[in-house]
Amino acid sequence: MLPDFFEFYNPTKVVYEAGVATDLKPELDIIGIKKYFIVSDHVINNLGFVQKVADGLAEAGCEVTGVYLEVKQDARLNDVKLCLAQAQASGAEGLISIGGGSVIDTAKAVNILLSEGGDLVDDYSGAHTLTRPLKPHVVIPTTAGTGSEVTMISVIYDEDNKEKLAFVDKFLLPNLAVLDPEMTLSLPPKLTAATGMDALTHAVEAYVGTQNSPVSDAFAEGAIRLIMQHLVNATKDGSDVEARGGQLIAATMAGIAFSHSMVGCIHGMAHATGALYRVPHGVANGILLPFGLEYNFDEIAEKLARLAPVMGEDCCGLSDEEAARLVIAAIRKLSGQLNELGALPLRLRDVGVPEDGLAAIAEGAVNDGSSFYNPREVDAEELLPYLQNAY
Amino acid sequence: MGMFKTTEEFEKVIVGFFQLVGNTPIIADKLLESKMVIRFTYTDPDLVVVVDCAGEKTEVRPHDTETKAVVEMTMSSDIAHRFWFGMVNLTKALTRKEMVAKGPIPKVLKLLPAIKPSYAMYPQYLDANGFGQYNITKAYTPPTA
Repeated sequence: MLPDFFEFYNPTKVVYEAGVATDLKPELDIIGIKKYFIVSDHVINNLGFVQKVADGLAEAGCEVTGVYLEVKQDARLNDVKLCLAQAQASGAEGLISIGGGSVIDTAKAVNILLSEGGDLVDDYSGAHTLTRPLKPHVVIPTTAGTGSEVTMISVIYDEDNKEKLAFVDKFLLPNLAVLDPEMTLSLPPKLTAATGMDALTHAVEAYVGTQNSPVSDAFAEGAIRLIMQHLVNATKDGSDVEARGGQLIAATMAGIAFSHSMVGCIHGMAHATGALYRVPHGVANGILLPFGLEYNFDEIAEKLARLAPVMGEDCCGLSDEEAARLVIAAIRKLSGQLNELGALPLRLRDVGVPEDGLAAIAEGAVNDGSSFYNPREVDAEELLPYLQNAY
Repeated sequence: MGMFKTTEEFEKVIVGFFQLVGNTPIIADKLLESKMVIRFTYTDPDLVVVVDCAGEKTEVRPHDTETKAVVEMTMSSDIAHRFWFGMVNLTKALTRKEMVAKGPIPKVLKLLPAIKPSYAMYPQYLDANGFGQYNITKAYTPPTA
């Protein structure tokens, strides 16, 4: 059945090639500015990636006006302020972010203030509050999970008020996403597995969510197909450029899918698990994905069944329900392989969640914005048994 | 020109409805739990209404431009009107800028299930309070002389 309405908008140019992050002259010439401020973190800098990109910029005739490396896990409001001050003082005309989701989200928020001035929280938190394009933003992801390089979302943690602020705006979409598998070669197996499961969760939740469309479905299916092909290999052998590339493309496609179709209660539970027990987002998603699908099963079985062939499962002669169960089994099988290869945790008890904390996670999921888009109404009492199963 | 011709006309309809919702326990309890203060800024015709759920009971204050709101919602009166019939896809309205929401969106989304019963109340409220001509769920019959 077709949706009554959907919108698809993705102006971000995507380039893919091993090594392309150091050879961006054609793309930068089109963007047209010369002065870039780099946002990254110490880990990425210590790997030499920041210098490599800076060298490439110099060859392209561009100037690096400054570098901010203090971004921490979870993009934080204080970092946005500090980074902004340095970027402003440097005379930057645009930003390049090199890193994972926190780095990219920080740069998106910095770009709002660098372009428009004002107060980030009072003036811009919310949905579609911006009225015109921001300064150019080039993103070079170094993980294959968040998809933030192609989403219109930035999530910033306000440490003082202990709350996460969401900024949703089409003007936050970066100008250029640079998918260079060489930038992800150093990701350790556990992080490769966790970020890969994050991307898979984005794609699957986008596919079965209430806001899906034929266009977002196509991106979600493409992402899932690539993940099933490449995630195990990328986790097994981090130097496998083909597998790394497949994962990078998959994460970007999943990002495009969920930026349009949103995510659901699995993200709601993962956000709560992260907030309460500091469980990394990808790990939480990886654990909770099959259980969240089971919670939604009656509402999504018909749609979920269509993923069976996408995931390489033979569903000839099976009912929708049987094929949908096959999909969940395939996800569990994948998680099991990632557990063996990359020590990806499979249970909430393995990541420091106490059993008496499950009710709080269920409550947190109910209160999470993602749950609004879940195919089944999210009720704490009804969700709890599934969290207990995941424990 | 929108469905409502004057601010006064729209104010009577929307403020009266907000007061009804604020006095309906099944909804009001959830609103008060949220402690939300929402300012609605309407256009065509223009009107500002604050719905303040921070106290012990829900307060509805038209023309309040002073209170610091947690969430600011901006939309046309027609979109607001259709919203209360349950006819507005929020994602679509936000994406197309038919609504602009400033502030913590998850808190707004969390309230949506709580206000669901009000969608059925709105047409009944219109009919019961002499605003039947705005009830778009039924064919409108103009009053006879």
